[in-house]
Amino acid sequence: MYDETVAVLDNRKVNAEYYKISFRSKQLSRDVQPGQFVQIKIKKGFDPFLRRPFSYYRIKDERVEILYEILGLGTSLLADLRRGDTIQVMGPLGREFSRPLGEKKRILVGGGVGVPPLVFLAQRYGCYRFFIGTKSRREVLPSSEIHKFHAQVFYSTEDGSYGKKGLVTRLLEELLDKEKGDPEDYFIQTCGPNRMMERVMEIAHHHGILGEASWDERMACGVGVCLGCMVMTHQGWTPSCTEGPVFRFDEMRVVYG
Amino acid sequence: MVDLATHIGPLRFKNPVTVASGTFGVKDEYARFVDYRKLGAVIAKTITLYPRQGNPMPRICETPAGMLNAIGLQNKGLADFVTNKIPYFQKHRIPLIVNIAGESTAEFALLARELDRHRKAITALELNLSCPNIEAGGVQAIREQKLISKTIRAVRKETPLFLFAKLSPELGDVLETAREAVRAGADGLSLINTIRGMAISIYSRRPRLAAGTGGLSGPAIRPIALRYVYEVKQALPRVPVIASGGITTGEDGVEFLIAGADLLAVGTANFVNPRASLDILEGIERYCQEQKIRSLKALRGNLVPHRRS
Repeated sequence: MYDETVAVLDNRKVNAEYYKISFRSKQLSRDVQPGQFVQIKIKKGFDPFLRRPFSYYRIKDERVEILYEILGLGTSLLADLRRGDTIQVMGPLGREFSRPLGEKKRILVGGGVGVPPLVFLAQRYGCYRFFIGTKSRREVLPSSEIHKFHAQVFYSTEDGSYGKKGLVTRLLEELLDKEKGDPEDYFIQTCGPNRMMERVMEIAHHHGILGEASWDERMACGVGVCLGCMVMTHQGWTPSCTEGPVFRFDEMRVVYG
Repeated sequence: MVDLATHIGPLRFKNPVTVASGTFGVKDEYARFVDYRKLGAVIAKTITLYPRQGNPMPRICETPAGMLNAIGLQNKGLADFVTNKIPYFQKHRIPLIVNIAGESTAEFALLARELDRHRKAITALELNLSCPNIEAGGVQAIREQKLISKTIRAVRKETPLFLFAKLSPELGDVLETAREAVRAGADGLSLINTIRGMAISIYSRRPRLAAGTGGLSGPAIRPIALRYVYEVKQALPRVPVIASGGITTGEDGVEFLIAGADLLAVGTANFVNPRASLDILEGIERYCQEQKIRSLKALRGNLVPHRRS
């Protein structure tokens, strides 16, 4: 793990809602895996004081790319950065998604700004089906961002402005109901809003399929010290920054419904 | 060469920089960033008699120049600390200050008795008399000075270890509480703990913390901490004080030394910069070199009054 000051190479809007920031780091790009994250100190000084966690979107040689949405003060300041501005970046942090799945078919279910880390996973390790859900077409990534992997990609939007109208979890249900395959043949990996992932886990549980979820909680330290970003597992409250953010479905204690 | 050595009664610290309880883990969590032996001491996260699960989520939220937390003293309890954590500090010869919290006077005493058996590995005890995030034994319960005195006396009976009483800024008359704590047997004071605060998400209209309120820390509380340290050191100049409250830079550390602090506990800054404690130490050293200060004795408590016009 490294903590270094890097210069922004590029910071631009990629669709109506999301931005992409890029910087070069030999160290941070070296061992990173899909599902891991970085902690970024966006601005020097005391306000905002804490770093912000971001999942890796993509690594191109030594170039690190991160996709984000403006959600508050930190991300809005991040969007103001220009080429040459510096940020302090610590990473790679956390536990990644499982990569080789043997004979199992990888099904990815991404929601909103949870889609990028799964794109990284699909590009590196392939996948069978990729379900992408967003509120509207405004959050759909341009095709130039979603390529270089061989999988069938299915879209749903809550307002029906792109792909199928409705929740992305409906697409997952339809596939599993239709295929009626051996649950052993599948492995589901999901990243997105916690409520979406809870529903994915419920569907997976119903079909007897295993999988992993990248759980999103507010973080302070990012290295397992503050005990702020806890996830309830069968071991009790567990820090998602060090033991996650990727947890196996059967590690987590979730009450469905 | 600047002499940063800090002597407190029988205790010898190589420098005044330590870390505030709860912001540096219980063992080697930051060892990949910080050589612990370079610090004056390490104050471990609060230990309770039995393991505690802590509070529901969300437990933290950011606020202007700081954060609120309601972790709820999640820890694995005394037995785990004694077996799995103390030997690490002993092996690496890292001065360890153990912070303890009981839900009752009797629990505080029991913790002290058990830890006294490991006296050789422990530099001092810090009594957490001021956690805002637990129902029993926290700020609410220990509002009364009588209870603070009673707790300190009970602990004092169990161990000759150096005792720091960590007081809340919300205990009403802090000066009076400080005097009471010393009278009851505290060897030093730790000032300040977090200050209770609140934040609300205006769209869900829910409190941002599941517990409703939590402890405010970070640069936002630094001037308040500084004032308490200054006033207590003015009133009780011979009582050693560990200062904490938003210390983030070397300059912040110097400010607290001038106010009279004996040790400086770096807290929330560790979450932002895991190397904060060492950066602050280096910053203090640099300041002393630039100002041609050879020893901290020349700096500590040496506040210059304004000239009257």
